[in-house]
Amino acid sequence: MNRSWYAPRRLLSYLLVAGIAVTALFPLAWMAMSGFKSQTEVLRSPFQFFPDVWRVENYRLILADPAFVRAMAITFAGAVIFTIASLVVNSTAAYAFARLEFAGKRLWWIVCITPMFIPAMAILLTSFVVVSKLGMLDTLAVLIVPGVASSAQMFFLRQFYLNMPAAVEEAALIDGATRWQIFLRIFVPQSLGPYVVVGIGSFLAYWNSYVWPVLVVSNPDLTQIMQYLATFRSSRGNDWGMLMAGSTLAALPTIVLVLIFQRYIVNGVRLAGLK
Amino acid sequence: MLDTSTQPAGQVTQVTGPSRRTRRRGPKVTDQVPRHLRAHLTAYLMIAPMVVLLGIFVIWPLVYAFYLSFFEMSFYKDAKFVGFDFYQYVLTDPDFYASLWVGLKLAVMVVPTVLVLALLLASFIATLSKRLAAFMKTTVYVPAVVSSVVAAIIFVFIYQDEGVANWFIGLFGHGPVAWLNTAATALPAVAIPAIWLGFGVSTLIMLAGILDIPESYFESARLDGANFWQRTRYITIPSLRNVILFLLVTGLTLTIQEFQLPLVMTNGGPVSATNTPNLYIFNSFRDGTPYATSYSLTAALLLFVVIGTISIIIFRVVSSEKSSDA
Amino acid sequence: MRHRRLRILVASAVAATLALAGCGSSGNSGSSGGKGGTTEITFWQQQFEPYQQKWFKTYVDKFNASQTAVKVKYQVVPGDTWTQKLKAAQAAGTQPDVATTNYGGIPAGVANGQFAELDGLLPGKAWDDIKPNVSGFVKVDGKHYAYPMLVEPSTVLYYRKDLVTAAGLDPNSPPKTWDELLTWAQKLTKGTVKGMSIASVAPDLGWSSWGLQYNACGHLPINDDWSAANAKDPCYAKLFQLYQTLFQKGWIPQQPKVGYADASPYGQGQVAMMADGSWAVGQLKQSFPAMIKNTMVAPFPSVDGDPSKPTATLGGWTLTVDGKSKQKEAAAKFIDYLLAGDPAIMADFFRQSGFSKYTVRTSVDKALASDPAATSDPFMKIISDKVVATGKAEPAYPFDISLAFATAIESVMKGKSDIPSATQKASDAIDRVIKQQHLKGTAPKG
Repeated sequence: MNRSWYAPRRLLSYLLVAGIAVTALFPLAWMAMSGFKSQTEVLRSPFQFFPDVWRVENYRLILADPAFVRAMAITFAGAVIFTIASLVVNSTAAYAFARLEFAGKRLWWIVCITPMFIPAMAILLTSFVVVSKLGMLDTLAVLIVPGVASSAQMFFLRQFYLNMPAAVEEAALIDGATRWQIFLRIFVPQSLGPYVVVGIGSFLAYWNSYVWPVLVVSNPDLTQIMQYLATFRSSRGNDWGMLMAGSTLAALPTIVLVLIFQRYIVNGVRLAGLK
Repeated sequence: MLDTSTQPAGQVTQVTGPSRRTRRRGPKVTDQVPRHLRAHLTAYLMIAPMVVLLGIFVIWPLVYAFYLSFFEMSFYKDAKFVGFDFYQYVLTDPDFYASLWVGLKLAVMVVPTVLVLALLLASFIATLSKRLAAFMKTTVYVPAVVSSVVAAIIFVFIYQDEGVANWFIGLFGHGPVAWLNTAATALPAVAIPAIWLGFGVSTLIMLAGILDIPESYFESARLDGANFWQRTRYITIPSLRNVILFLLVTGLTLTIQEFQLPLVMTNGGPVSATNTPNLYIFNSFRDGTPYATSYSLTAALLLFVVIGTISIIIFRVVSSEKSSDA
Repeated sequence: MRHRRLRILVASAVAATLALAGCGSSGNSGSSGGKGGTTEITFWQQQFEPYQQKWFKTYVDKFNASQTAVKVKYQVVPGDTWTQKLKAAQAAGTQPDVATTNYGGIPAGVANGQFAELDGLLPGKAWDDIKPNVSGFVKVDGKHYAYPMLVEPSTVLYYRKDLVTAAGLDPNSPPKTWDELLTWAQKLTKGTVKGMSIASVAPDLGWSSWGLQYNACGHLPINDDWSAANAKDPCYAKLFQLYQTLFQKGWIPQQPKVGYADASPYGQGQVAMMADGSWAVGQLKQSFPAMIKNTMVAPFPSVDGDPSKPTATLGGWTLTVDGKSKQKEAAAKFIDYLLAGDPAIMADFFRQSGFSKYTVRTSVDKALASDPAATSDPFMKIISDKVVATGKAEPAYPFDISLAFATAIESVMKGKSDIPSATQKASDAIDRVIKQQHLKGTAPKG
C-alpha cells in the first residue's frame, strides 16, 4: 500500500463512519428524545430535537407497568425460541437443497420456495382457520410455530452453502462421515456469520410482528410487545410521548443482541477445523 | 491465515479481468454431483420439518384461499359459488392496476438503491479495523429496529413545510415543496424511509457474503494492480451473485407489499400516487362485507401471482442455471 | 466443545418447539358454559380513546360482580386490525358474542345474517327510551339489530377566538356560507399558521365529506334506490370548489401531519380553524386544555347559508349480538345493563368523554340535565342543537362508493383533473360497484 495516501484515507474512513452513524442513528435518537417529551410536544412544528423540559414520566410509567414488563419478557422468550427453531429447520433444509441430490428435488424446491412470494394478506384468513382448527389459539405455540419454516431464510442459507467448496465434503465422505456429521461438524460451524445475520432477521420479524398476534392471542398474559405499544395509538390522536418511550425501550433488547452477536460476522474460517 | 488450497466456488470461475490467477482454479464443483454423493433418505429427513410446517401453515392455507376465492364468502349463510367473478372484478378494476404500478415503481426505486448502498457499505466495513467494524455492524442495523410506524412519523417531520428537506433545498434558493402532497415527489418521498429501514440488514447480509470470499482472490487482484472498482466489478459482485439474487428477490417481494409507510405518511395520496397494492387491498377490506372479503382475498392472490412471476423472471435473468434450478 | 454446546442448544430448541405445539389444545377462546350455571360470553370492543377503554373495563367488571349468571370476557381490539380479526374469527367460528358495530355497518351486516335480532331479547322500554332521530339507525325492515350507544357528528367547525379577533373578524358571528368560510380561511392564514384544517386525502374525505355532500345537493352521489350513480349532479360543483380553493390557495396545510380525525394541529396552534368531528372536543380537553377557553364551535357553514341543511353525518357506535352466538340471552342481558339500563352508567360515559359525544336516550339526557358539568359545557349545547339536530345517518352503501367520490374530490382539489372528468370517473366507478355488488334496490328504508 502506498503510505502517502494512507493517512488521509483513514481520516476519510472516520468521516464516512461518522456520517453513516449520524444518518442511521438520528431517528432512533429522536425517538428516544421524544420519549422525554409531553404528549403534545412530540408533533410540534417546527422540528425540535430536545424536549423543553426533560420529563422521565413516560419512561417511568412504562417501566412501572407490569403489562409492559410481562410483554417484553414473553416476547423475548418467544423470539429466542422462534429464532433457534427457525435456524434449525431452515438450515437443515437449506443444506439438503444446496448439497444433496435426491429424487423430486425440483418439485420440493418449488414447494419450499413459493411461500416467499405469498402476500400475508392472501392467507391471513385461512391460516387463522387452520390454527384455530388445530386448537392452537391463545398459546405461545401459535405465535411461534406457523412462522418457523421460512422460505426466505432457507433460500438465503442455501445460497451460502452453495458457495462452500465441494472438496470439503468429498474429503469427509471418504473419511466415512455421514451427511449429518458433515452438516453439523463442517457446515454449521462455518456458517456462524450467516446464521447470525438471518437469526437477527428472524428475531426482529418475531419481535415486530403485530397483525398475527392481534389475530391469534386474546389472553393478556401472552400479549406481545407490538400489541402493547399499539395501545398508545389511535386514529383520534396518539399518545406520542408514551409511544416513543415504549418504542425506544422495546428497541433496546434487539440492539443489545446485535452488539453481542455482531462479532460472529467475520471472515470465514473455512477449512480451519478440517486439518 | 487462509488456506491457499481453497477451492473457489463455481461462480468465481466466471471471473474475468485482473484475477487471472483464480481463473484457472478448479472446475465447477457443485453442479454435477457424483452418484455416490446422492442421498435420498437423508435429504428427505432434512427437508421434512420444513415441508411439513410449510404445508400446514402456508401451502394448505394458500390452497384453501384459492378455493374460497371462487365463492362470495359469507360466514353466516351458505357461501355462494361465483366461479371466476371476483377475478374478473379485480382484473377489470383500473385501481388495481394503478396500485400494482405504484408497487413496482416503489420497488424500482428502493431495491436497486438498497443493493448499491449495501454493497458499498459492506465493502467499506470489510476494510475497517475490528473495533470500528464492530461499531458499524451495530450502527447500520439500528434503523431496522425502529418500527415502520415510527420511521414514517419521523419522515413526515423531515418533509413538512418547515422541515429539514425544505430547509436543505432552501439553501439552494428553492421554495418549499409539499413533498408528500405533490404527485411527482410523493412516491420517492415514501421510498426514502423504505430504503433507510432496509439497508441495514441488507448490508449485514452483503457483509457476510463478502467475508466469505477467500481473501486470496483480492490479494491476487491487488497484486495485479486492480483498483477498488475493478475488484468490486470483477471479484466482489460475481462472488456475491447468490447473495445479490437473494436480496433482489426478497427486496422486491417485500417492497411491493409495503403498506405501513404510505398508510401513515400519505394514506395513499395525493390521488392514489402512493396507493401500494396492499394499501389498496387494505382499504377495499374496510367494510367487512362478504363482497369486500372475497374481493380483497382475490386481489391478494393475484398479487401473489404477480410477485411470483416477476421473481421467476429475476431468477432466470440474474442467476446462472446452477443457482436458480436446484 | 462448540459442537456439543450447539447440539444441546438444537436439541433443547426442538424439544421446546414440540412441547409448545403439544400444549396447543389447552386454551381455547370462544364462549362456553362455565361452572355453576355461569354463562360466559365474549365481548370485543374496537379500540378508541383511552377513556373509553377505561369506562368499558369499569362497567364490565361491575356487571360481572353484580351477578353470577353471566360472565363477560372483555377484549380490546386495535382499530387498524379490527376487520381482519373479526373476519378471521368468523371464518373459524370463534367470533365474539357481543361486538361494537358502527351505524353504517348495520344494514350490510343484517343482509349477511351477521347480527341477532334484538327485539325479543331486550325489554320494550329499552327501545322506547331511544330518541326518535336515532331509532331508525338501528332498525332494518322495522326490526332492531343493534342497541345504540352514542352519536358523534362527523363535522363541526372549531375556531380560535384570539386569532379571529386579531384578524378583524367577529368570533360571535361565525361564517354561515361556504363563501364566508373561504374569506375567513384567507384572512386567518398568516405565515405558518394556516386558515383551517380539513380532510384532504380520499380515505379521509370518503366519510368526512358525507355531510357536506348532503349539504351541497341534498343527496349522496347515488340514486335513492341505489340503482345508478348520481355523482355528476352540477350542484356538487360548489363542494369541489370549496375543497379546491382551500387547498390550492394554501389556506389549509399542504402536508397534513395527521389524519382528519386527529385534532393535534389545531391544538398546537398550527391552524386557526378546524373541521373535525365532535370527538375533537374530547381530545382538546384531554391534551390541549389551554386551548379550550380560546376555542369556539359552530355548525359547519352551509353552501347557501341555510342552517337547516345537514352539515354532518351522525356516526357512532352500537353493540350487536352475533347471529351465530349460542348465548344470545346472556349477551342481551349484558347490553341491557351497559347501554339500556341505569342512565347513570351512560351518563358517566358522556362525562368521561368530556361531552364530546351525544346521547341517544331520553333518560340519559335527563340524568345529564342535573349535572352542572354537562350544562355548563361551552360546546355541548351548540353541537347538540345545531349540528346533531340536522345531522343525517351515515350511508349504508359500501365504502367503495364513498372512496370513488372522495377520489374525485381529491383529484379536483390537487389539480389532477377538472370537475367534469373527475365526476365522470367517479360515476363510472360507482356504477361498477352497484353492478358488481348487486346494490340495485337494496337501499335500506329507514
